[in-house]
Amino acid sequence: MKPLAYLSTVWHYLFSALLIALTTLFFFALRDFLDTTLVALLYLIPIGVITTTSGFTPGIISAVFSFFAFNYFFIKPYYTLAVHRPLDLVILTIFLVVSVVLSRLVGRAQAGLAAANAREREATQLYELSAALAGLHDEYTVAQILGRQVAALSQGEYLEVNITGSQPVHFSQPQGALPSRPPELTVPIQAARSTLGEILVWRSKPPISTGETRLIQTFASQAALALERARLAQAESRAKVLEESDRLKSAILSSVSHELRTPLSTIKAAASSLRGNEVGWDSPARVELIAAIDDESDHLNMLVGNLLDMSRIESGALKPKREWNILSEIVGSVTARMKYSAEEHKIEVDIPENLPFVPVDYVQMEQVFTNLISNSVKYAPADSLIRIRAGVEGECVRVQVSNQGPQIPPEHLERIFDKFYRINEVDRVTGTGLGLSICKGIIEAHGGKIWAENLRDGLAFNFTLPLTWEGSPPPQLPMDTEVE
Amino acid sequence: MSAEPHILVIDDELQIQRAIRTILTEKGFRVTTASSGEEGLALAAANEPDIIILDLGLPDMDGVEVCSRLREWTQTPIIILSVRDSERDKVGALDKGADDYLTKPFGIEELLARVRVALRHSAQKQGMQSKVVKAGDLTIDLVWHIVKRGEEEVKLTGTEYKLLAYLAANHGRVLTHQSILTHVWDPADADHTEYLRVYIRQLRKKLEADPERPQYILTEPGIGYRFIADE
Repeated sequence: MKPLAYLSTVWHYLFSALLIALTTLFFFALRDFLDTTLVALLYLIPIGVITTTSGFTPGIISAVFSFFAFNYFFIKPYYTLAVHRPLDLVILTIFLVVSVVLSRLVGRAQAGLAAANAREREATQLYELSAALAGLHDEYTVAQILGRQVAALSQGEYLEVNITGSQPVHFSQPQGALPSRPPELTVPIQAARSTLGEILVWRSKPPISTGETRLIQTFASQAALALERARLAQAESRAKVLEESDRLKSAILSSVSHELRTPLSTIKAAASSLRGNEVGWDSPARVELIAAIDDESDHLNMLVGNLLDMSRIESGALKPKREWNILSEIVGSVTARMKYSAEEHKIEVDIPENLPFVPVDYVQMEQVFTNLISNSVKYAPADSLIRIRAGVEGECVRVQVSNQGPQIPPEHLERIFDKFYRINEVDRVTGTGLGLSICKGIIEAHGGKIWAENLRDGLAFNFTLPLTWEGSPPPQLPMDTEVE
Repeated sequence: MSAEPHILVIDDELQIQRAIRTILTEKGFRVTTASSGEEGLALAAANEPDIIILDLGLPDMDGVEVCSRLREWTQTPIIILSVRDSERDKVGALDKGADDYLTKPFGIEELLARVRVALRHSAQKQGMQSKVVKAGDLTIDLVWHIVKRGEEEVKLTGTEYKLLAYLAANHGRVLTHQSILTHVWDPADADHTEYLRVYIRQLRKKLEADPERPQYILTEPGIGYRFIADE
């Protein structure tokens, strides 16, 4: 029944005409053997079939045509519409009445069935939509699902779903040019307090029925509910993020005000005593004080730099400016610069000569090595060894900075990369508590991984860096060998 | 032009102006200060200073723009002042014609060293090109293309020599990756810093006592390289 129902109207009428014509032809061939009354009864069969398959109107029209055909071909005198016998007149009348009544009855039952089917389809579609929309927290997916469902329902030429708001969402199907005429149907997506968007449908043929309009409106209100739910969920998670960042900010403030004040107090004390002429011009204390001002302002500068780096990592603004670099050059310039701050430790660098180029940001990688080395310097005993090693491991370079400092309880190994993380509260080592989390931020921005590991006689920081950059492997350079 | 070199300081922070003026005046320079880009450009045109110290973070205009507007009419050495983490701005200003840079906060020896180098280079532009550059036990003869370490001649490939000669001729000054690559290689190679990394490593191996901790060819992180010669 379903495929027939979709045949266009023309086909229904053609089918009806053909069926009546064939029936008439068949009865005409057997006219001499069939009784007129039997023919009248038999004509009811095709009329019933037509009403069932094609509906009420084709049924009535076929009934009327059958009436004339019956009269014309089967009631004497043949080939006229005149009726001579009164009995034939009775038969004709009864035939007309019965066929019309039959058409109406069957047609009504059909229409009822079709309506029930349509309602069931609507209910199913509505159910599918609300099931699909349940639990969605993302406006684009809502728009997408709504758009697909409306498209499946309306079968139009073009469809658009627009969702307004702080981040407008647009969905259209099919992809491509929008028709130049205005849409045939516009349904607002209406929430309790505001309009959240609209559904636009372009379908000129067949025109959109009231039933379809009503269903699309129901879809729109379902979508409105889903959107409100999504927005509420977003607002909630934003609130959580804000709360978290608020907590972080107060942690930063307390750490920072302490850390910044320490060098500032030294500088202030040294500068004011120099200014107040309390220290003699030739006194060795004068040199000490000046050195303290110089060192502490460097320290202060480093603290501010760390804070800036951290806020950049937090806000996602830390974008490595990659270039093909030689790792040993980076390590070399860091160890050269840290000659004084690491003078109590021995630094051993073991990086193979033929290590490929690594695609990294030179300045940021310097920062990573500086932080890892100064962390080792802080915790490892004087005169111990700090080793820096590197090697290729699969698609990556693996770097290890190890020291002979104290081990870390296994449960803290991951957390030492958290901001402001200290293994214990009495840990009086100075610093912002940001160094390792900055390393983590930089390494991850490069697509690598960083972790800490306890060694037999100390602690190691390991990290990996991908060797490929946008899919290309490290370059091989043609070397010139000619000597001038 | 009076005897003592004249320095124009363009910086909107009064404390920095005060500090630089005090120190440079003490060291025998004549100092003029400007607090904005426009004022700086006007003073530069009116006074024709010997050196311009320019802060990149000015209130009225971009420091890089001040730099390129100065370069439209004058070759006076420009030393950029800028904070850490703005390598892009520094490189931009250097490629627009600035001669050197200092990262805030800076030590006064660094400032004086930059000023000395800038003065020497502006003198060289007027024809006193040095022909032999000495750095520790290194001697680089730019006329005869001979590089010696102590008494021993160092064999360099063509590209290595070209690179070293460019660095040494500009000793004391920072040279950006781009300027080295376009000068020693080809403008088309301006993005291939890896060439530079490799040749610098080779040069350090041939010239430095400890190639991992170079004394002569210094890396300026994110910017370029600087050759340190004897004064």
